[in-house]
Amino acid sequence: MQLRATKAHFRDAAYAMPAALFMALLFAFPLFSVLRQSLQQENGDGLTFQAYAKIFSTPLFLRVAYTTLEVSVSATVFSLLLAYPIAYFLAKQSPRRRALYMILVLVPFWTSSLVKSFSFMVLLGQAGIINQMLGAFGIAPVKMLFNRFGVMVGMSHFLIPFFVFPILTSLRSQPPELAKAAAIMGAGKLRIFLRVTLPLSLPGVMAGALLVFILSLGFYIIPALLGGRQDMMFANLVDFYTREALNWPMASAVAVLLVTAAAVAAMLLSKVRGGSSILSEEGH
Amino acid sequence: METRISGWRIALGAVVTVILVFMLLPSLITAVISFGSSNQIVFPPKGFSLALFRRFFAEEGWVASTWLSFRVAIWSTLLALLLGIPAAYALTRGSFPGRKILALFLLSPVMVPHVAVALALYIYFTEIRLTNGELRLIFAHAIATLPFVVVTASAGLRHIDPALERAATVMGASRLIVLRRVTLPLLTPSIIASGLFAFLISFDEVVISWFVARAGDTTLPIKMFSSIQFEVSPVLAAISTMLTALSIVVCVIVATVQKEARSG
Repeated sequence: MQLRATKAHFRDAAYAMPAALFMALLFAFPLFSVLRQSLQQENGDGLTFQAYAKIFSTPLFLRVAYTTLEVSVSATVFSLLLAYPIAYFLAKQSPRRRALYMILVLVPFWTSSLVKSFSFMVLLGQAGIINQMLGAFGIAPVKMLFNRFGVMVGMSHFLIPFFVFPILTSLRSQPPELAKAAAIMGAGKLRIFLRVTLPLSLPGVMAGALLVFILSLGFYIIPALLGGRQDMMFANLVDFYTREALNWPMASAVAVLLVTAAAVAAMLLSKVRGGSSILSEEGH
Repeated sequence: METRISGWRIALGAVVTVILVFMLLPSLITAVISFGSSNQIVFPPKGFSLALFRRFFAEEGWVASTWLSFRVAIWSTLLALLLGIPAAYALTRGSFPGRKILALFLLSPVMVPHVAVALALYIYFTEIRLTNGELRLIFAHAIATLPFVVVTASAGLRHIDPALERAATVMGASRLIVLRRVTLPLLTPSIIASGLFAFLISFDEVVISWFVARAGDTTLPIKMFSSIQFEVSPVLAAISTMLTALSIVVCVIVATVQKEARSG
């Protein structure tokens, strides 16, 4: 009996073989090639850390690394500040109304980042809608595009839905009796929020923050379209080395560092309470 | 007391309204502009017209790249479904050693930054001399969409009571018949949902396509990307509206299919 059960289990495993094989051949192996490429010597033979040594002594790389970190951290903070009120509001609604409001979060979630970038260019440009409106009040045009401000607006807009879901889950798992008990004890709304609701939702905030940070590290489209020259991030640097400098070892070394950073953050994410569920339920 | 409560409510309501307006602004703005009559990007538009939509269908490049995107999205979705549904079945029904690692491996493309996957495939396709641009895009997109198929189908399988499958087995149905007559029909809503999501993801994919595509194979997002970079054509407003409409239609179909499955 025991043996038969095991056999059945292996037969089940066989159903995953095509997918595993496909992913091994077209995902794992190519990524491994990138690692190998990053360790390639310029004359072709032998392994070396040349590309890494060169990268860490390049001012361009150091600046991009700093930008990537700075942009990722501030985008995470900004989208948290905007996502928390939405999640809090959604958590307070009846299931029917929540489903309705959820659509308002899902539409931006499924909107292509190119559509968003185009729209923000129309909105924030030198002669864009916002500056036209400011002009009507006699205010001089403000530069909101091709700088850090543009990147922040675009990135936060993209990231907010990713933040709303984990915070909402964590808020919804709080027993409503807790807030009620605090209210009976005479606590005001603000006090209940600061002393009960907010601290209990921190695991969700933490999980969301790590997820959003990982996503931020790899951003390419939004910094390329809405950012200035000084807003180059890791992904844009990979593109630069691949296409313009035609230096595959350097491009590969940057990509390896980027994947390593994302992997470390993902490992932390799986350690956070509620984090592992995000990793496996992505896309819902 | 009373005023403090309503004060809190009003403040929260105001803040949430502002944020939700910010969230919906891009879709709303492009929708309004896309119905403008002018050949320039003007807000608010003067009068109503479909000129920008007509321009999209008249300009050869846009239509051709849209067709390429459609073809790539359909084939990569089929490939992802073909690989992902059985894998989801193995992951939810089987309990073999290494199941967790396999799940993590199949879902990992979500966590690996797209630009790294893009570079990896760019180098790899060059090395193995895969020169067919469409095939390169189909393979690349299947990698990006596979995790979404696996997750959606797994969630669907978890909601199917294994007792139903067991009952069919007890009644003498073979494994394949159980799969074909019981499991797959019950899973249909999840298959449709995951297929539609996969299609949408492939249709929108830019970064991997930007690296993997060859000069002649411009998908719609690649063409949009270069258009935004170099000329900012007003046709983009019409495309944006159509893409947003496509996303909404897909979400509505998914919601309807899953609701019917629950009530039926």
